[in-house]
Amino acid sequence: MSEVKKTATKRPGTPAISPRKIRLAALLSVMGPGVIAGLSDDDPAGITTYSVLGAKYGYQMLWVLVASTIALILFQDLGARIGVVTRQGLIGLVRQKYGARSGVLSAVALILANIGTMTAEFAGIAAAGQLFGYSRYVTVPVAALLVSFLVLRGSFTRVEKVFFLLSAVFLSYVIAGFLSHPDWGQAFHGMVVPSMPFTRDAVFIATATLGTTLAPWGLAFIQSYAVDKRLTRDDLKLLRVDVWTGSMLTGIIGFFVIITCAATLNKQHISIQDASDAAAALKPLAGTLAKDLFAIGLIGAALLAASILPLSTAYSVSDLTGRPAALDDGPREAPLFYGTFAAITVLSAVLILIPGAPLITILVLTQILNAVLLLPLLLYMFGISRDKRLMGEYASSKTMRIIYGVIIAVVFVCVACMLWFTIH
Amino acid sequence: MSRAQTPVTGINTVARKIVGRRDSVLARKNIRESLVSVAGLIGRPVKDLDGRDIGKLVDVVVRHGEETYPPVSGLIVKVGNRKSFINGARISSLNKDEIRLSSTKINLEDFKRREGESLLDADVIDHQIVDVDGLRVVRSSDLYLAPFDREIRVVGVDISFVSFLRRIFPGSIRRTPTPEHVVDWATVASLADGSGVVRTSGSRAVLSQLRPADLADLIEDLAGREQGALIELLDPELAADALEEMEEEELQGLIRGLTSERSADLLARMEPDESAEVLRDLDEEHRESILGEMDSALAGQLRKLVSFDETLAGGIMTTHILIVRENDTVASALKLLVSNRERDISDGVVVVDSRGKLVDHIQVIELVAAKSTALLSTLIGPPYPTAIQLDTALDEVVEEFSNNRGSSVIVVDEKNKPVGRILADDLVDALASLSERRGFSPGSGSLS
Repeated sequence: MSEVKKTATKRPGTPAISPRKIRLAALLSVMGPGVIAGLSDDDPAGITTYSVLGAKYGYQMLWVLVASTIALILFQDLGARIGVVTRQGLIGLVRQKYGARSGVLSAVALILANIGTMTAEFAGIAAAGQLFGYSRYVTVPVAALLVSFLVLRGSFTRVEKVFFLLSAVFLSYVIAGFLSHPDWGQAFHGMVVPSMPFTRDAVFIATATLGTTLAPWGLAFIQSYAVDKRLTRDDLKLLRVDVWTGSMLTGIIGFFVIITCAATLNKQHISIQDASDAAAALKPLAGTLAKDLFAIGLIGAALLAASILPLSTAYSVSDLTGRPAALDDGPREAPLFYGTFAAITVLSAVLILIPGAPLITILVLTQILNAVLLLPLLLYMFGISRDKRLMGEYASSKTMRIIYGVIIAVVFVCVACMLWFTIH
Repeated sequence: MSRAQTPVTGINTVARKIVGRRDSVLARKNIRESLVSVAGLIGRPVKDLDGRDIGKLVDVVVRHGEETYPPVSGLIVKVGNRKSFINGARISSLNKDEIRLSSTKINLEDFKRREGESLLDADVIDHQIVDVDGLRVVRSSDLYLAPFDREIRVVGVDISFVSFLRRIFPGSIRRTPTPEHVVDWATVASLADGSGVVRTSGSRAVLSQLRPADLADLIEDLAGREQGALIELLDPELAADALEEMEEEELQGLIRGLTSERSADLLARMEPDESAEVLRDLDEEHRESILGEMDSALAGQLRKLVSFDETLAGGIMTTHILIVRENDTVASALKLLVSNRERDISDGVVVVDSRGKLVDHIQVIELVAAKSTALLSTLIGPPYPTAIQLDTALDEVVEEFSNNRGSSVIVVDEKNKPVGRILADDLVDALASLSERRGFSPGSGSLS
């Protein structure tokens, strides 16, 4: 973790490197949970949602992304803080504070939602692979093996480095965004002026945007990951920088995906079903490079999320049962942890490869489950954040509690609208 | 983090012996048959002598003291909308379905947390506990009460996942004990703290049988608050030994969570080089507040060590050396060694001349073989120890070691006065932490 903290000097007592460099090095050693958890929220499901939002509504609903990003920043920040202060994962704390039923219920819901989301990640890999002419029967197993191998064989620091490398792929969306020559004025207008048609589709896409940005598994992940990284209270300031950076990046990537689609697909009134449609449709409008960048970004996003999701699930399950969960432990020391990881990966890969599996149904149900699950999880986090016995001096202030409350209320309204439209 | 597993069995045997001696109550048939699940009891009716409902049980309060199995000291009962405390002495019977009190007139007091008491549902169930027998940190799924020694006591803690799952079901499934994986209360260390630290003599006795390395693993597996509680529970010497075995980053985090006074107490008992390593990475204010709590001579010594970089001889050496003058006698040197036998430096003494400059390092065996009245100067001669400067770089230290094939080198200041020693294990520590920093660590994942 602290690989670059100090270098050799010849004189005793004098610092080897300037204080500013030390600060940067310390930041880099803490960096990780926020950036990784944030960016993995921009998974294929996320890119799809953003693409559809941009293709269908142009720049008009960019403000939904801005609002979601703010919510993401605040709750990822809270999750990281809870993890560092209590040194326990979210599900373990729910069990401890809210009892067996709450713990089991949220864990089961989380597992189901994560399997569904993982299937969506593999679907993203399959779709992006097909854009380059590879069959899903090759790309999906390869991806599954790749992520399992990475997590099973690597030590914590090494795994984290690979995650960082994967994150760099997201730059391709920024380039694709510029290649599509968006209308920056309209984009700015869409970000700051909230407006939307009150239709079923618009409500769905707004809720989906919120739900995919502020994903339940991401919240559970950042907390467990901060625990596994063994960050301490002294790291909190730097961790906050990390979390804010990661969440902002998540929003920025989403922004570029939306404006790419708004500038091209929306302008030409081309409707799309998913992110790979978007990539394919980009080719005649913004060139082959834009299409390739979009597709590469999709694969990178899917790989990152496909590594994080089973990991997040494994943390949660171990946490519920109170068994060891650490990337630095081997499979023999933490069988449940690695067993869960493998089970989630294999199950999702199989789901995507079975011919005729009801994929669309699985993906829609997953999205609904994720949105519904978000509410109790946010409430639990809210409850934990104000618990003085757990959080001590880090318990949330009255102002923050009001802000959290407002966000939770908005999420509640969105989810209620979505459910209402689903039934009617 | 993946320390050798083999000693575990040995420890378990030790732990079992202790428990065996204490005569595990769970082994008694009548107790096994009268177990009442605490998790199942929560929410059940509390009735008075005539069978009238008074309210519903919210929590069970136990008192920790010198006894191994803590007795129930009271109940928290929801009467109407109010949570009240009912003294444990009023309980006449308690089974899995209900609690009966021994009178019809009940004094309802407001509950206040008292020192040495904990709430079983709020503080212990679903919280982390240390299973000393299995050498691991687990979450307790349930607790079992049984009448024993004239009181109702906590006798066992259930750590199985099945028992945890049982609790999500409605009705009597939830309340029926499933004691397949019950651990005797005497073999766990509960770290629940209500108002302070629970001091169970049983836990302490069992914990004190653990090897420092195993304890270090347990400490690392605990959450923040519980970590502090475990440290408080331990004998300071043992705690310091365990701390020395902890991962550096973990130790940093732990020290940051403790009070300066407690940190000072522990760090003072650790090897100075290890303490210095911890102190070096704290911010200055915190470091000074800890040093301020220490004996000033030790604080000065640590301050000096802290000022050296970890990649230099001064940063990795231990300052535990025994310095004697060349005109001292063999007897006085041996006496000094004996009085310091607790420290790991019993292999010899460093001899200096009248101006304090390094002359030789004399092994114990040479001292023992010599006449006790002889002067140390008569023993001086080759092989002379290797001496290096405080600011010698780590790779040069390694070179010195491999050139001389010795087990230690002596570190001297610019005036050739000995200030410390680097033993082979200090060197191994330094190299290990360096390679970790450079990212060459193979990672325990790939080792196992």
